[in-house]
Amino acid sequence: MKKMTPTEKSEAKWGLLFVAPTIIGLLVLNLYPIVNTIYQSFCKTGDFGRGNTFVGFANYQKVLTSPETWQALWNTVKYALIEVPFGVVIALILAVLLNKKIGGRSVYRTIFFLPMVCAPAAVAMVWKWLYNTQFGLLNNVFHTKVAWISDPKIAWISIGAIGVWSIIGYNMVLFIGGLQEIPGDYYEAADIDGASGLRQFFSITVPLLSPTTFFIVQTRIIGALTIFDLMFMVMDKTNVALPKVQSIVYLFYQYAFTNGNKGYGATLVVVLLVFIMLLTWILQQAEKKLVYHN
Amino acid sequence: MKGRKILAAAITLGMTAGVIFGASVNASADYSVSELQVNIWDNNQREGLQQIADEWTKESGVKVQINVVDWDNYWTLLEAGASGGQMPDVFWMHSNTAQLYMENDLLLNLDDYIAADDAIDLSKYYEGVVQLYNSNGVQYALPKDHDTIALLYNKAIFDKYGVEYPTDDWTWEDMLAAAKTITEAGAADGIYGYAINTSNNQDGWYNIIYDYGAQVITDDHKGTTIGSDEGKAAMEMMRQLLEVGAPQTTVAETGTDSLFQSGLTAMITQGSWMINSFYTSENASDYAWAMLPYHDANGNGACDEGERYSAYNGLGWAASYNTADPDAAYSLISWFCSEEQQKKQAELGVTMGGMKGVSEDFANAFPGMDVSAFTRAEEEGDLFFRPYTRNTTVWEDALQQAGAFLDPWQNPSDPELMAQACDNAQTIIENAIANE
Repeated sequence: MKKMTPTEKSEAKWGLLFVAPTIIGLLVLNLYPIVNTIYQSFCKTGDFGRGNTFVGFANYQKVLTSPETWQALWNTVKYALIEVPFGVVIALILAVLLNKKIGGRSVYRTIFFLPMVCAPAAVAMVWKWLYNTQFGLLNNVFHTKVAWISDPKIAWISIGAIGVWSIIGYNMVLFIGGLQEIPGDYYEAADIDGASGLRQFFSITVPLLSPTTFFIVQTRIIGALTIFDLMFMVMDKTNVALPKVQSIVYLFYQYAFTNGNKGYGATLVVVLLVFIMLLTWILQQAEKKLVYHN
Repeated sequence: MKGRKILAAAITLGMTAGVIFGASVNASADYSVSELQVNIWDNNQREGLQQIADEWTKESGVKVQINVVDWDNYWTLLEAGASGGQMPDVFWMHSNTAQLYMENDLLLNLDDYIAADDAIDLSKYYEGVVQLYNSNGVQYALPKDHDTIALLYNKAIFDKYGVEYPTDDWTWEDMLAAAKTITEAGAADGIYGYAINTSNNQDGWYNIIYDYGAQVITDDHKGTTIGSDEGKAAMEMMRQLLEVGAPQTTVAETGTDSLFQSGLTAMITQGSWMINSFYTSENASDYAWAMLPYHDANGNGACDEGERYSAYNGLGWAASYNTADPDAAYSLISWFCSEEQQKKQAELGVTMGGMKGVSEDFANAFPGMDVSAFTRAEEEGDLFFRPYTRNTTVWEDALQQAGAFLDPWQNPSDPELMAQACDNAQTIIENAIANE
């Protein structure tokens, strides 16, 4: 190892000092809970965090053999399958349109970003009533009688739609940022060569935007897999569609906080953690092939 | 600018006053704290309780800050607080969780305080509530109140379809007939005779089970007879009511309370803790209360002992085991539970008392609305304590969902499904108790 000069040493010291608040925050608020959760997943937890007894893989055996777990994991994946692709594609189209010099551009940008600044609980409450079978706005406007959130066949789509609606603005802003980094020369050159707008989009915008797209896809997959609040707020505990919609984190909440079985709950989230890690690893491998680097 | 100056002056004045009065109060107080944090979950009661607490503040010099946290989050928060040693000073306890908190010594042991307190005589309170908050001979909370269940109906809907109002002589069969007539006549208007969700247990289907002679949880808290013939007969009655009531998807999405308050349901059953929210509704003048119907087991055409049950439950005032000033915390609890303040609680219409014989005034607390059905429920009928075990929510939640009663609720036309659900419920409860 190369020896540090006194200046470098001093810089390193001050650097560490400045990032210390973040490091301490991460250790206390993220790392400690992670370790503790993993520990609890091997325990039959006592009430109020007292008297945990080590039970080895007993919780894992129960979690992994329960059909409920796999259903919830599948529900979570289904939710991600709606939120991520639609959230990304719609946001990309909007970003491209709103990146052009059109009148009222900032007004549109604000409107699409608004869902992002609304409290998720409030969003869920409003959608819950929009979807109401008898009195909801949707059914009244279209003169239908669809049980949007009580029919197990479509409830997951309805919930996914709220997710898409909530996230579009955020994805769009990231895309606009990415778009503005693409040099205008490419488009000028393409114009001269006579490339159509659509051709330009697929041959210039999409590949040059791929790092941004990849970032959004990856973070949104993680976000979607940890979804909880939408199901929790929109669906009543006695909703018949709940077993086909509840996510892993919802199940975790039910076991850990409502039933007071922290060990079982911890196991559920560790399973989810492993699943997300696997998925992230696969995505990282795919990145090398899919993402265009300048 | 001027407005801002006045505001600033007012704030300064207020702060100065606070300092002066605060100081003078602290000087004369016997307690080491200047404020107690109190957590409750029912916003309907906040105002009345604050009024009672303020009286105590005048005597003790200790301020009382009442925080309302909704039911679900209340328990999440309290549990987190208990694990971290940061509970509020004084708070409500409930039958669902009391055992857990008491066994883990998270509540202040009140025995010595009660023994030294002339204002509190445990024999004056409802036994079920006193017992509930007693674990291994130690009293951990004092009875705050008790509640009963009654039938709430909308007179306007009964008038519209020419159906006679519910009376105290109604059997469940009478209710079924009325609900059927209204649902059939009201089909065009989307009006139902009756609405109940699986989650309406204490204030709904539990009561029928006891009327028919079964028990959700047996007296020793170690078993259930929900799968017995009596239990099945009771739930068969429930099934027939469901057949003529609002569909389960509707009650799950909209809620029985909203259906009723929107004038779309003629009858629901409700607990006394909900009176205020119906009393203050837009169409409150159309609403009236009757006692719950009864089950004429011996067929003599009259309601005899054991034929009309209402669930009752009582909250307890408890203090945190590590509250900064246990003397102050107990003093406040004792104040809330003293005869005078229990009377006041009933007078203000907050709730009926935890002490016996102080609740006559409760019936008069709602001018223009006759709520005597709740007090008559215990004078003329029988009470059973809300079923509980050590970890009630585990089986209580399971009973409301698929695999238990949600299935027959979805398909009320199939009697087999309801009988099967009773058997499932029997197993669910037995397994849950075995795991406690």
